[in-house]
Amino acid sequence: MVSQTLVDAAQAAGLPAPHWFIQFFKVLGFTLHAVPMNLWYAGLLLALCLHLGRNQHGREFAARLIAQMPVIIAVGVNLGIVPLLFIQVAYYKFFYPATILMAWFWLGIIVLLIPAYYGVYVYAWGLRNSETDIKVWRRAAGWVAALFFIAIGFIFANGMSLMDHVDRWEEIWSKTNVAGAALGTGLNLGDPTLWPRWLLMFGLALGTTAVWALADTVFFNRKTAEEYNRWIWKFAKIVYTVGMIWAAAAGTWYVFGTWSEELRKTMFSFPAVLLTVLTALAPGLPWILIVTERRCPINKRLLVAGIALAQLGVLGINAVSRQVVQNVNIGMVFDVFSQKTDVQWGPMAMFLAALVIGLGILAWMLAQVLKSSANSPG
Amino acid sequence: MHYPWWYVPHLTAPMLIAVIATVHVLVSHYAVGGGLFLAVELGYAYRVKDRDYLAYLKRHAGFFILLTVVFGAITGVGIWWTIALASPLATELLIRTFVFGWATEWVFFVLELASAFIVYYCWGKLAEKTHVTMAWIYALAAWISLVLITGITAFMSNPGDWLDKRDFWTAFFNPQFIPQTIARTGGALLLTSLYVYFHASLAIKDCRLRDMIGSRSARPALAGAIMVTVGGLGWYLFLPESAKAILLGVASLNILIALIFALTIITFFLLYFGPYRNPGWLSPGFAGALFLFGLAAFSTGEFIREAVRKPYVIYNVVLGNQIQPGEVPKLRNQGYLEGGVWTKAFVAKNYPQTISQGSIEENRLLELHAADRIGLGKTLFQYHCNDCHAGAVGYSAVGPLLRGRSREQVRSLIELLDSYVFMPPWAGTSDEAELLTDYLMSIAPHRPEGMRLGSQPPEVR
Repeated sequence: MVSQTLVDAAQAAGLPAPHWFIQFFKVLGFTLHAVPMNLWYAGLLLALCLHLGRNQHGREFAARLIAQMPVIIAVGVNLGIVPLLFIQVAYYKFFYPATILMAWFWLGIIVLLIPAYYGVYVYAWGLRNSETDIKVWRRAAGWVAALFFIAIGFIFANGMSLMDHVDRWEEIWSKTNVAGAALGTGLNLGDPTLWPRWLLMFGLALGTTAVWALADTVFFNRKTAEEYNRWIWKFAKIVYTVGMIWAAAAGTWYVFGTWSEELRKTMFSFPAVLLTVLTALAPGLPWILIVTERRCPINKRLLVAGIALAQLGVLGINAVSRQVVQNVNIGMVFDVFSQKTDVQWGPMAMFLAALVIGLGILAWMLAQVLKSSANSPG
Repeated sequence: MHYPWWYVPHLTAPMLIAVIATVHVLVSHYAVGGGLFLAVELGYAYRVKDRDYLAYLKRHAGFFILLTVVFGAITGVGIWWTIALASPLATELLIRTFVFGWATEWVFFVLELASAFIVYYCWGKLAEKTHVTMAWIYALAAWISLVLITGITAFMSNPGDWLDKRDFWTAFFNPQFIPQTIARTGGALLLTSLYVYFHASLAIKDCRLRDMIGSRSARPALAGAIMVTVGGLGWYLFLPESAKAILLGVASLNILIALIFALTIITFFLLYFGPYRNPGWLSPGFAGALFLFGLAAFSTGEFIREAVRKPYVIYNVVLGNQIQPGEVPKLRNQGYLEGGVWTKAFVAKNYPQTISQGSIEENRLLELHAADRIGLGKTLFQYHCNDCHAGAVGYSAVGPLLRGRSREQVRSLIELLDSYVFMPPWAGTSDEAELLTDYLMSIAPHRPEGMRLGSQPPEVR
């Protein structure tokens, strides 16, 4: 197979961290990135729809989410750096060729992200003047931003699926090259895994948006009326249910309609089968907690904290599964774990120390903000 | 070679890095210096209880966040995106060497973001002391980010002893680290004052306030200009000899050096006679001119910094055409097409007649039809030369450079490529040099008509 020969076998130097460390931070980074990413992916679109509607509570929630969106995007972009850094440490042989084959689209993520981000600001700052009377151009900017975010998700799904499927490289390259040099105009459209992967994330994103709506109401919105609270729980139930069904449909298509026999064999054998089953069932826990909310005797804040943790767990398990699937797919061509390591212990200690200190400073800053908002009359 | 080459018609892929990087640094230095500006001035405004100044600082903070958190941060990611597409081998080596430097920088980036949003969105809600502390957290985190990134980018200019020791600390504390940190810190101070002047000149109608801002930001600007000069001299002193030779030997760089001196002197004098001595001069026109001169000086400096590394992307580690110097002898022996993962696959698929027992038979290459020889020559050009040169037309296009040369001259130029100090060595066989010559001759225009070089008698006396 020509595609296998497109993977460079040489390794110039050892990996600077143990394999488990790279895998851990890649998965952790993706899980944390997925929370804000889900909110701009499905949440923004949902908020824009609600803001167009007549339901007062829907408009209120939409206004809150859009006003929060600039910070959410900043956090999401920032957290996205972690998995992208560690993917390049161990998976460079796959990441670079896949993204080069679709270079213009890959670069297009940056080109789309800048106006999308500004578009969100334009809409959000329009809400400062009036929560109802948003100017047409501001509305348009918000909608363009939402569409751009969906397009960005599609490009990412292309890049990541192409990285996993080396057998697709040759076809794309042979169609888009000039004397052997990649034009960078390929997309992985012929890969059957692309579409369900993309749609699966949208389903999960709907779920995260539903959970965010609850968390925002219970933890951040101190002025809510009982009527709004009831609406938001109902909204969360509907959105989470739709998201779960959507994710289940896309996941079924992905697993049973597109996985290779080898991948299916691995993921349905012990011990990986436990992960497969857990990934499929995981969204059930937050959903049960949301729909049984009225019968739940515990404090609402505690319940929502539990739901949020459960949703983080859903995203985390999903990220672990994605990592395992990626390792299996790539493992058919190259054993990533066979790469030698030459661990940089000193620099690693520097990073971990900075991380601990940084988290401490971050906690102090957030405590100051909470203290100030508790003291302020609004 | 190890990766597919990304062909960007006319411009060349690495020029995309230059474009995005230059745009980014113009904002990222403001992101660092602006943090210091806000921290110092916020403390001052609270101390003297200047409500008008506080109101202006809030406006400035909004502008600062819009520009740095959105455009600055995303273009920063954009550089990372582009270097991975245009220089994958260099990026692979940089990431492997500095992954924990980048990861640590990410921690400070988190602190930057959080503190920037808190400073702006909690304006008037936090206690004054806490508010100023937040601004200082931003300023310090942003400066540490600059230091960490400078260690990595400076490594590309001169890796120093890393070639022997191969450890993180030697790589990070390279000979260029201190000069470039001084220059970039100074650049951040200088550029920030220019941003502040420009913004204030447009946003403030109150003469007292505008004059005060003009005066207060002049000293850091002048100090920044001095630091840029000192850091720039250090940068030159610690450049590898080959980079110094390029700086002196390439005409376009000579012009750029003259330009950067001129722009820096103009900026310095405008600062001295403008905001420092006559703060009242701070009209939108004056501030705009100052801003543009500063941006032009900065962009020129970045371009020169990038250009003197040739023929390397990382000095002595990775050549521009994405091979390591140590690979050259092997490639010369086995062939450039055979040695590259993607070039070999391309030949195997499109010219199977040249393959025997899984390898490219060098002697069969010259038996190909003329069109195929040119085609394969173009493949060699893409993977060996397109990192710096467009083909027939475009940035530093080879066609016009070879105008009117004979086949023998072109062929000899290829074989003796590294006789030019800024060119990489030819890394193929002599048969491959023939193929590349075929391609280059096909795109080189004829000598222009009507040139008189003394070989014919003059028509008019």
